[in-house]
Amino acid sequence: MKEWTDRPAPAAKTVSEARLMSVLNTAVDGIIVIDEHAHILVYNNACEKLFGYTAAEVLGQNVKVIMPRDYSDAHDRYMDNYKRTGHRKIIGIGREVRGRHKDGTEFPVELSVGEASTPDGRQFIGILRDLRSRKEAEQRVNELQADLVHLARVSAMDEMGAALAHELNQPLTAIMLYMQGIARTLDKRDDPADAQFKTVLAKAVHEAERAGNIISRMRQFVEKREPHRRPIDLNAVVNEAVELTIVGMRARVNIERDFAQQLPKAFVEPVQIQQIVVNLLRNASEALKDREDGTIFVSTRQDGAFVTIIVEDNGPGIPPAAMPTLFKAFSTTKKTGMGLGLSISRSIAQNHSGDLIVDPGGHGRGARFIVQLPVASREEETDAGL
Amino acid sequence: MAVHILEDDPGVSDSLLMLFKNLGLEATAYPDAESFFETAKPVKDDTIIVDLLLPGISGATVIGWLKTLKEPPRIVAISGQAQSAIDRQLKDVGPVELIRKPLSIQMLSTLV
Repeated sequence: MKEWTDRPAPAAKTVSEARLMSVLNTAVDGIIVIDEHAHILVYNNACEKLFGYTAAEVLGQNVKVIMPRDYSDAHDRYMDNYKRTGHRKIIGIGREVRGRHKDGTEFPVELSVGEASTPDGRQFIGILRDLRSRKEAEQRVNELQADLVHLARVSAMDEMGAALAHELNQPLTAIMLYMQGIARTLDKRDDPADAQFKTVLAKAVHEAERAGNIISRMRQFVEKREPHRRPIDLNAVVNEAVELTIVGMRARVNIERDFAQQLPKAFVEPVQIQQIVVNLLRNASEALKDREDGTIFVSTRQDGAFVTIIVEDNGPGIPPAAMPTLFKAFSTTKKTGMGLGLSISRSIAQNHSGDLIVDPGGHGRGARFIVQLPVASREEETDAGL
Repeated sequence: MAVHILEDDPGVSDSLLMLFKNLGLEATAYPDAESFFETAKPVKDDTIIVDLLLPGISGATVIGWLKTLKEPPRIVAISGQAQSAIDRQLKDVGPVELIRKPLSIQMLSTLV
């Protein structure tokens, strides 16, 4: 068998041998055959690329040559163990291992191992798939998700700050005015018996003012942060958000994309827009979780001075009872979460001089959310150096 | 002169009402713009306090309409929202007096 991959390739002795050689050397994955003593019998072209050794260099050698040190020391033991006990730890299972290139670098490979009984004894066939590009893609997705989570958190904090400030201002206003009203009445009455009430009331008003000042400071802090907007190709931004969501999604839901050609650029902060899209997609997949044929449709369109992103699902729609408070902070129909997602999404869109509007659907139609964002003006395109 | 208060939050509306009555003014509160326009006939000397976040017709719309009157009353917008949100709502309305929440008697006494 050794001569199959020796160079120059000798003529195959039989048709089936010729066929096998062609298979081996056409395969994209690395293929290695070893004998019972771990000596390499077959080493195909893909392996040469993967490990940097030529077939001539490794044929007949122990397969340890392409393993990192920590594996290679244990490999003989693994083989002995299998031969003795017949207990399979990798054969027929496959797992992710590390390979070692001739230059010493290590890299992840997916290894599946098969076994064959031959007249020459037991042989093991390993198929090796390079995982580097997949790993890089996974890492990129992880980084993007981390960015998104971080920004979502910052933005959620801002939004929560603004929402809290607004919600607390209402009762605080009432408290302050009630107390000041009473204080005025007491002043007018001018009864010495009221002196103690007046002192306490003045202190209470002072405390309410203190609370008011804290809220004002919080509001100022939130207002200082202005997002970095620039002219952006929404299709790319939306597509990336869809990819991110698919990776993070537990349930299997179809996502169909239909992006408009020649969409004008939108003047937006891309990560914030992705936050809206991810949020809408998560809501939609939540609405579809009990359906077999759940599908989310994501599309982009130009609509006058706006570029719009439309996220639609084939779920049950939004119940009429949920509509009045749908975009209100701290109101939610879900068991988990704070009910900030849609409120944040809408205020992001509105802060971009756009809007987030909803068609609740129902009666067999799913909900449809429309994000409107302003088309970048020519000046904005020029300012951004585009 | 009369004070008209357009405010949907019951606490804010009630406390404002109490305060203005306390100051000896005729004051009426409305939970939304619709009920205000049904009953009130604002005149030049009146002061209309409009919360920007109203259910139904928005505070900004009400302000816009009031400004088109031949003899518009004094209009004061109140809001507890962020400045950017306020600016956005008022951008088509033009300049208007604004008091930000939380309100206090000092801020309001300048109105009367």
